[in-house]
Amino acid sequence: MSFDPSPYVALSAVIFFIGVLGVLLRRNPLIVLMSIELMFNAANLALVAFSRAWVNNAGHVFVFLVITVAAAEAAIGLAIVVAVFRRSVNVDVDEVASMRG
Amino acid sequence: MTAFWILGILLVASAVMTVTQKSPVYSVVGLLANFLALAVLFMTLDAEFLAIIQVVVYGGAILMLFVFVIALLSSGTGPFTEGPNRLPLARGPALAIVLIAFGALMYAVLRAPLAPGTIVPPSSTLGLAGQPDVFGSIGDFGTALFTTHLLPFEVTAFILMVAVIGVVLIAADAVPQRTHGHHPVRPKREREPIVKVR
Amino acid sequence: MNALLISIWLLPLIGAILLWAFGPQLNRTAGVVGTFVVFFSFALTVALFDVARAPGGLHVTFGSWVPGFDFGLLLDPLALLWALVITGIGGLIHAYAVGYMWSDKAVARFFAYMNFFVFAMLTLVLSDNFVGLLVGWGLVGLASYFLISFWFYKPSAVAAGRKAFVINVFGDIGLMLAIFVLFAQLGSLGYAAVFSKVGQLSMPALLLVCVALFVACAAKSAQVPLHTWLPDAMEGPTPVSALIHAATMVTAGVYLIARCAPLFNASPQSQELVGIIGALTALTGAVLGLAQWDIKRVLAYSTMSQIGYMIMGVGVGAYEAGVLHFLTHAFFKAQLFLGAGLVIHALHDEQDIRKMGGLRRRMPFAFLAMLLGTLAIIGFPGLSGSFSKDAVIYGVLERGHPMLFGAGVLAAGLTAYYMFRMIFITFFGTYRGELDDAAVGVAERVSSPEPEDHAVHLPDWVMQAPVAVLMLGTVGAGWLAIGGTSSPWYRFFGDAFGTSVAAAEVPGFPEIASTLLVLVVVAAGFAVAYARYGSPNAMAHAVDQLRNESRTMPALLVHAFYVDDALDALFVRPARALGTFCARFVDPHVIDGGVKDLVWLASALGLVFRVLQNGLVRTYAFTLVAGAAAVLVYAAWMGSR
Repeated sequence: MSFDPSPYVALSAVIFFIGVLGVLLRRNPLIVLMSIELMFNAANLALVAFSRAWVNNAGHVFVFLVITVAAAEAAIGLAIVVAVFRRSVNVDVDEVASMRG
Repeated sequence: MTAFWILGILLVASAVMTVTQKSPVYSVVGLLANFLALAVLFMTLDAEFLAIIQVVVYGGAILMLFVFVIALLSSGTGPFTEGPNRLPLARGPALAIVLIAFGALMYAVLRAPLAPGTIVPPSSTLGLAGQPDVFGSIGDFGTALFTTHLLPFEVTAFILMVAVIGVVLIAADAVPQRTHGHHPVRPKREREPIVKVR
Repeated sequence: MNALLISIWLLPLIGAILLWAFGPQLNRTAGVVGTFVVFFSFALTVALFDVARAPGGLHVTFGSWVPGFDFGLLLDPLALLWALVITGIGGLIHAYAVGYMWSDKAVARFFAYMNFFVFAMLTLVLSDNFVGLLVGWGLVGLASYFLISFWFYKPSAVAAGRKAFVINVFGDIGLMLAIFVLFAQLGSLGYAAVFSKVGQLSMPALLLVCVALFVACAAKSAQVPLHTWLPDAMEGPTPVSALIHAATMVTAGVYLIARCAPLFNASPQSQELVGIIGALTALTGAVLGLAQWDIKRVLAYSTMSQIGYMIMGVGVGAYEAGVLHFLTHAFFKAQLFLGAGLVIHALHDEQDIRKMGGLRRRMPFAFLAMLLGTLAIIGFPGLSGSFSKDAVIYGVLERGHPMLFGAGVLAAGLTAYYMFRMIFITFFGTYRGELDDAAVGVAERVSSPEPEDHAVHLPDWVMQAPVAVLMLGTVGAGWLAIGGTSSPWYRFFGDAFGTSVAAAEVPGFPEIASTLLVLVVVAAGFAVAYARYGSPNAMAHAVDQLRNESRTMPALLVHAFYVDDALDALFVRPARALGTFCARFVDPHVIDGGVKDLVWLASALGLVFRVLQNGLVRTYAFTLVAGAAAVLVYAAWMGSR
C-alpha cells in the first residue's frame, strides 16, 4: 500500500489558513508574528508529507532550510517590534500607520 | 492513522488557541503545544531528525525569543493595551477570502494523485537512526545536506549571520550619553505615545 | 520674351513689397512709385502685343511644383486684353489716386495694397491653369478686403470689407468644387489639357463644373443673389471703387466664363442659366439704381447692371460682344467714378446728391467727364458704350433668347433714366449744400463721410489728367468693333471662343432694328428723367420734390428687395447662432468638459485607490492574501481543465 499524503496536505492547509486569519485579524504584533510561525509550520508539514510519499530526503533538507530562515525572520521581526514599540503606550500594529497616503 | 487524527486535532486546537488568545503569553503556550504536536507528527512520518530540530529550534529558540520580547514590552504586570480597531469590517471579508482560498486549494489537491503508487514505503525505521541509508535518519539527512545540498547549507549560514547583524542594528538602544552632570538622564522605561502623522 | 511676361506679372508685387517695407520713409511719394510700377507693366504688356496674338500666345512654364502640375503663365489675346486694361486703366487710376489720397495719413499703405491688387489680378488672368486662377481669385478677394476697409477706423468700412470677403469666399468654394471635379474626371488642371478633354466629361459632371464656376462668377461679379456686397463696397476710397469694383475685379467672372468657353459651349443648360442670371442682374441693378441717393451707390448699382450685361453676353455665347462691353465699361465706368471722386473731393466728402446741385458751373470738367460717361453708358450713338451694348443685346437675340433680349432692352431704358436722374440732380439746378439735411429729405447718413485732412491739396490738373485720358477711350474704344465679324476686334480674338453646341440662329430681326429699338427705349428713359428732374419746372421745385421722393420711396427699393435681409436670415443668423451655441455650450461643457472630466476621473480613481494606501499593515496583508487567493483559485481552475 502506498502512502497517501492528502490528509496531511489538508491538515497543513487548515493550519496555514488559521495562521492567515491570525495575521489579518489580530492587532498585537507578537501574535501576528506567531501566526506567521504557524504558517511556516504548515508548510513544513506539507513538505515532510510529500518527502515521505516520494521517499526523497530533499524535502527534509528543504524543511531544515525553512526552519532556519523562519528562525532568522522571527529574530529580525521581533527586533523590529521591539524597536518600534519600545517607547509606545499601545502595542498595536494599527498605530504604526505613518506611511499612509 | 489514529496518531494522525489525534495529533491533527491537537494541532488545529493549539493553532486556534494561538490565534485567538487575548494575552500573548497564552498564545505562546498554544504555539508550544503546536510545535510539540508537529514534532510528534514528524516522527510518525519517519522524519526523526526533523522532529528533534523542530523541538530544539522552534520550541527552544524561537519561542524563547517571543517570551523575552513579551517581557521586554510589558509594563509592569498589566496586560498589553491596544488602540481602537482601525479595520472593524475586516472580519467578514477576511473569513470569506480564506475560505475561498482553502476551497480552491482543496479542490486542486484532492483531485490529483499526489504521489506515485508504485513506491513501496519502507517499514518503520524507528530505532535505526543514524544509519545513512535509512530514510529520515540523521545519517541520511546529513549525507544529503553536506553533499547534494551543500550550497543551500552554506547560504543558510550566511542568512543567519545577516540576521544576527540585523537584529543587533535594529534593536539595540542608542549608546547612552554621559551627561557630565548637566541634565538628568531620561529613564529607560519612559513611555510616550507615538506621534500620529496625518 | 518670357522674362518680359514674368516681369509684367511680378513688378506690381515688388512694388507692393517695397511700399509695404518702406512706407514710412516714402510717405507721399509712395503714390508716384506705385503709379510708375503699374505704368511700366503696362508698357511691357504693350510691347508683347504682337507676341500674344501669335497662335498659342506666349506660354511660360515654371515647371511643376507638384508632380503632374505644371504652373505657368499664358498670354493669349483674352489674357492680353485683360492685362492691358488692368495695367493701363489701373495705371491711370493710380495716377489719379496720387492726387485724391494726397491728404490721407496712410498713403504708402494704400498704394501698396493697390499694387498688390494689380499683382493679384494679373495672377488671375495670366495663369495657364486653374490652380493659378484660384490663387489669383483668392488674392484678389483679399486685396478687395484690404482696400474696402482701408479706413479701418470706420466701422461701416470694416463691416463692408468683411461682407465682401465672406461672399467672395463663398464663390471661391464654387471654384474649388469645379477644380475638384475637373481633376477627378480629367486628371489635369492646365487650360490646354482640360479644354482638349472636354468631351471626356460626363454630362452631369460638366453641368456641375459649369454651375460651380458660375457660382464663383456670381460672387465675384456681384450677380443676383450674391450682389449685396457691391453697394457696401463703396465704403472704400473712390479710386478703389473705380479700379476694383468697376473696371477689373468684378469683371473677373466675365473673364472666367470667357476663358472656360469650351466648357460652357458644351453645356447649353449652363449657358441658359448664366444668361438668365445675367439678364436678371442687369434688370435688378437698373431698378435699384433709380432709388439711390448716394452718388457712388448709383454707380455701384449701375456697375452691377452692366456686368449683368456682360455675363449675359458671354453666357449665351456672344463672347466677343460681352468682352467688348467689358472694355468699354472699364473706360466709362472708371471715368464716371473718377469724375464722382472729383465732385466728392471738391465738396469735402459730401456724397449725397440731394445736397448737391448746380455743380455744372462750379466744376465744368467734372461735369463734362460725368456727362460723357453717362452718354456712353446709356449707349449714345457713336460712343463706345453703344457699340458694345448693341452687340450684347443683338447677340443675345440672334442666339435665340427673346426673353433675355427684352430684359436687356428694358434695362437699357432704365439705365438711361437713373443715370440722367443722377446727372440732373447733381449738376443742374441750384446748389443745395447749404440747406440742412431734413429739408432735402436726408433722414440718415448711409455712409459717413470719408475722413480727410484738409491741409494739403495738389493742383487740379493732377486728378483731371487721367480722367481726360480715359475720355479718349470712352469715346473711341467701341470703334474697334465697327464692321461686325470682320472688325479688328473680332479678328483680334479669332476663333478663341469657339461656338456653342446649341447655336440657334434666329434670323429675321436685323441688327439695325434692334439698335433702333434700344435707342427708342433709351430716349424714352431720358425723356422721363428730364421731365421729372431736368425740366426748368422740375428744377424750380427741386427741394420739395427731393424731399417727397425720399419719403415716398417704396420700402422694397429702399431695402434692395430685401435680399440683404434674406441672406442675413438664411446664413448670418444661423452662423451666429451656431457660434453662440458653441461658445456657450460646446466650449465650456464638451471641450473643456472633456478635459475637466478627465481630471475628475483621475482624482476619483485616485480617491478609490487611496483607500488601499491607508498605512495600515493589516490592509496590506489583506491585499496580499486576496491576491494569493486569486492566484490559487485561478491555478485550481486551470488545473482542472
